[in-house]
Amino acid sequence: MKLFGKVRGLRLATKLALVGPVLVLAPLFVLVQQVDLESVFVETQAQSMLRAAQGISVIFNGREDLFENLAIDTEDYEPIYATPLLRPVRLDGEALEWQDLAERTYAFGREQSGDASFTIAIGERENAIYGYMRVRDDRRVYRDARILRLDNSDQVRLDFRRQDSRPTRLAITSTGPGIVTAYDMDEAWQFAKSGRPENRVRGWLSETDDGFALEFRVPTELLAESTTIGFSFVDVDDAEERSIRAITQSLPTTGRSSFNLVLLKSTELLNILDGLGVSDARISVIDADSRLRAASGVVSRGTAPAATDGFRPATWLRNLFRGTQTAEQDAEASELIASQVIQSALAGSPSVERRNHELGFEIITAAYPIVSAGAGVLGAVVVEQSTDRTLAMQSQTIDRLFGLVLATFVLVMLALFAFAARLAWRIGQLRKDTGRAIDEFGRLQTVKLKREQKAGDEIGDLARSISAMLASLQRYTGFLERMPRTLRHEIHNPLNTLSTSLENLADEVEGARDSKYLASARRGVARIGAILQGLADAASLEESLRSETPEHCDIAALIASYVRNTNNNHPCREFRYRGANRGVSANIPDYRVEQMLDKLIDNAIDFGREDSPILVALNRHQDYLRVIVANRGPVLSESVAESLFDSMVSHREVQDKLHFGLGLYVVRIIAEYHGGRARALNLVDGSGVMLIVELPADETAATDFEQQLAPLDMEEPQRANTANIQGS
Amino acid sequence: MQKHIAIVEDDPDQRANYCDALAKKGYQVSAYANRAAALEGFSEALPDLVILDIILEGEEDAGFDLCRSLLQRAPELPVLFLTERTNEVDKISGLRLGAWDYLSKPISLQYLAERVASLLRIVEPSPIAGQEQGARIGHLEVDLDRLSATWRGIRVPLSGTELRMLQMLVDNPDSAVSYATLMKATNQPMVTNNTINTHMRNIRRKFVTIDSDFSCINNEYGFGYRWIVQ
Repeated sequence: MKLFGKVRGLRLATKLALVGPVLVLAPLFVLVQQVDLESVFVETQAQSMLRAAQGISVIFNGREDLFENLAIDTEDYEPIYATPLLRPVRLDGEALEWQDLAERTYAFGREQSGDASFTIAIGERENAIYGYMRVRDDRRVYRDARILRLDNSDQVRLDFRRQDSRPTRLAITSTGPGIVTAYDMDEAWQFAKSGRPENRVRGWLSETDDGFALEFRVPTELLAESTTIGFSFVDVDDAEERSIRAITQSLPTTGRSSFNLVLLKSTELLNILDGLGVSDARISVIDADSRLRAASGVVSRGTAPAATDGFRPATWLRNLFRGTQTAEQDAEASELIASQVIQSALAGSPSVERRNHELGFEIITAAYPIVSAGAGVLGAVVVEQSTDRTLAMQSQTIDRLFGLVLATFVLVMLALFAFAARLAWRIGQLRKDTGRAIDEFGRLQTVKLKREQKAGDEIGDLARSISAMLASLQRYTGFLERMPRTLRHEIHNPLNTLSTSLENLADEVEGARDSKYLASARRGVARIGAILQGLADAASLEESLRSETPEHCDIAALIASYVRNTNNNHPCREFRYRGANRGVSANIPDYRVEQMLDKLIDNAIDFGREDSPILVALNRHQDYLRVIVANRGPVLSESVAESLFDSMVSHREVQDKLHFGLGLYVVRIIAEYHGGRARALNLVDGSGVMLIVELPADETAATDFEQQLAPLDMEEPQRANTANIQGS
Repeated sequence: MQKHIAIVEDDPDQRANYCDALAKKGYQVSAYANRAAALEGFSEALPDLVILDIILEGEEDAGFDLCRSLLQRAPELPVLFLTERTNEVDKISGLRLGAWDYLSKPISLQYLAERVASLLRIVEPSPIAGQEQGARIGHLEVDLDRLSATWRGIRVPLSGTELRMLQMLVDNPDSAVSYATLMKATNQPMVTNNTINTHMRNIRRKFVTIDSDFSCINNEYGFGYRWIVQ
């Protein structure tokens, strides 16, 4: 119960700290909205890309001629795609630049890894076709420069065919590892057409463990309108005999044309696309057979920083509020989306989709059909662009906003805390001041609180109203304090009249002096006078205590003497003293101790059983000297025990003597003024009551007096029932 | 010769009671209700003794004013304050003005008559002039009639009540005098032990002012006081 009684609820600062975070919600909503806007931005971008695709498609609309030069049905060929190369290629026979193209590497030969088989990857960059060829050859036979005929060494043959079926034959030979030389060949591949090599074709040959690697470059101008190309490797194994042992061709089956469809791009289309000068988007033209005919630009990440460079609030928020579904899309699904977009465009309806690039960022693919009045859909323009650039600005905004929200939140919280701390401090100070305004005995110490009097807010109002309350309280207590003296002052005159009249009456009237009525009238007058005196004494007690000079007295000797004298004064009652006979110093004037003893003994005589002794004891308990007056008789109820030492409280059933509840009040005031306290306890066995006055022990007092203490023959006060303590 | 006593008291009942009681003792009594009437009366003839109340018909310090003007005219005139104002401050200021005694209400008429008689005796010394009237014990000499006490030849400025208490102590040297006995010295009907204690402290303090080694008054706690002859 006590535990719950102490929990009163939260402090002011804690409450504000709990309420404060609500403030961050508003800017947080803005942030969330910003994130939501992303889809709008992306959608806008997608639409504008579709418009761009549409615009580009207009250029190609009706231009069947641009698409016609690929009349060959692709079903007849195994197409070899020339993959756009992102990086410049150094012709050094190394495979470095080609690692990205591992998927686009085609293998030829009877056995995949047998002698004279080869793999080839074709790339395209800056008006040139690059090729990387790995050949397995158990015996490398290089060209002998002394022999004019060329078909007697290991060589790579390139065979172009144009629309008009006029083939071009190039043989790439080498006299050793290093730079290779290409020659334009006659129909039989035996002699070069002219003595000069074809210098536009360059290459480099390097030897490998199982053969050699050839990296070469053929400018597109050489290809001119060529649309098909054949690769073959001529294997010569005997350096003496120099006869062709095998020819491995890119042609899958001998029954067909010996040409592979390689270069599907149209240079004219490329030129047009390049002319568009789009930098951060990739624009490609696909023909009706889904073949890439031209492409320009690359899809880049734009200016958005990579997602990995530290904490990005925007990324974090996006993930938090949108989930990461786009990031989970795998490459296959992404390819599928791209092909769906293209197929849709080729079917005649523009389409746009978002998908993930294989490098991890999101791109938008928009496709718009190219149409011709006669031939229907000729192909499609595909525009691909990263969403990064569009989102970069938004991300920056979100990042800034996030920082701003965070800073605002921190500032607001700091301000709130400061405000709460200040408020709590002010209230705390006001509480302390208010507490100090009335001392522990309920006396007013000040009428006006010093703090907060000029504050304009509610705390100021509170302080002022407390001051006003204190002032009216002071007026009231002042009235109460003055009342006994005023009363005595006002009653003294009529009382004097009464007593002098009684005296004159006694002299004047014969026999009146012996009249019992005169005697009772005189007693009445005396009693009123005593009451007035008592009231005035009690009222002026504190005043006289304050004017008192500090004094010491031997309290043991005093009490011992007092009890002795009291026994003489009251022969029919017995008083016992338990305690030292001398040598216990106390910081209190002797007459004050006597005054207290008078009241305590009076009380004990009135309430104690006549056949039982009254015990007076002096002992030391911790830092206090305890004067105990105990008597057998009626016990105190809890409420009586608590109020026993209050002013004007009398619990006597018969008002036979001069008692108006001031005696024990005087005891309390004296004890408290000297730093002690007074309280009343019932004896443990319920046979009576003891009144205890505790006074601070004088440290100069003899310390060995405890040993002089005889045990109480009544109950030990230490073991007294403490349930109903508290006299003050 | 009949002595003339003037009483200044605003309450008619009390005034009448004082007049009756004193007249019965054979004094000629004039009574005045306020300051103006009293001054007028005194301008005709000065009485032999004046009893003054301090508050007169709402005038707070009228008694003090009267005392001042009377003593200016006749410094040796016995002036007695009889008032309900029992503050120490009032007592001190009354005695400082030169009043001979300060009595507080309620008072017994018999005691008032005795005080009056005693004061008049001081003014008019008894025929046996020069004879040692007071009691002498150790270094102390008390003359109740002359309202004087001396310690080692130095006058101790005690009030009437204090002198009477002292007298009671020295009447029974070396034996304890009870509170009840000492209460009689105050001539007030109900007095607490504490009042006696206060008086005794005052007496002791006045002696100590003269002689810091003074320790003749001893408290018998719970009983009373004792004069120890040194």
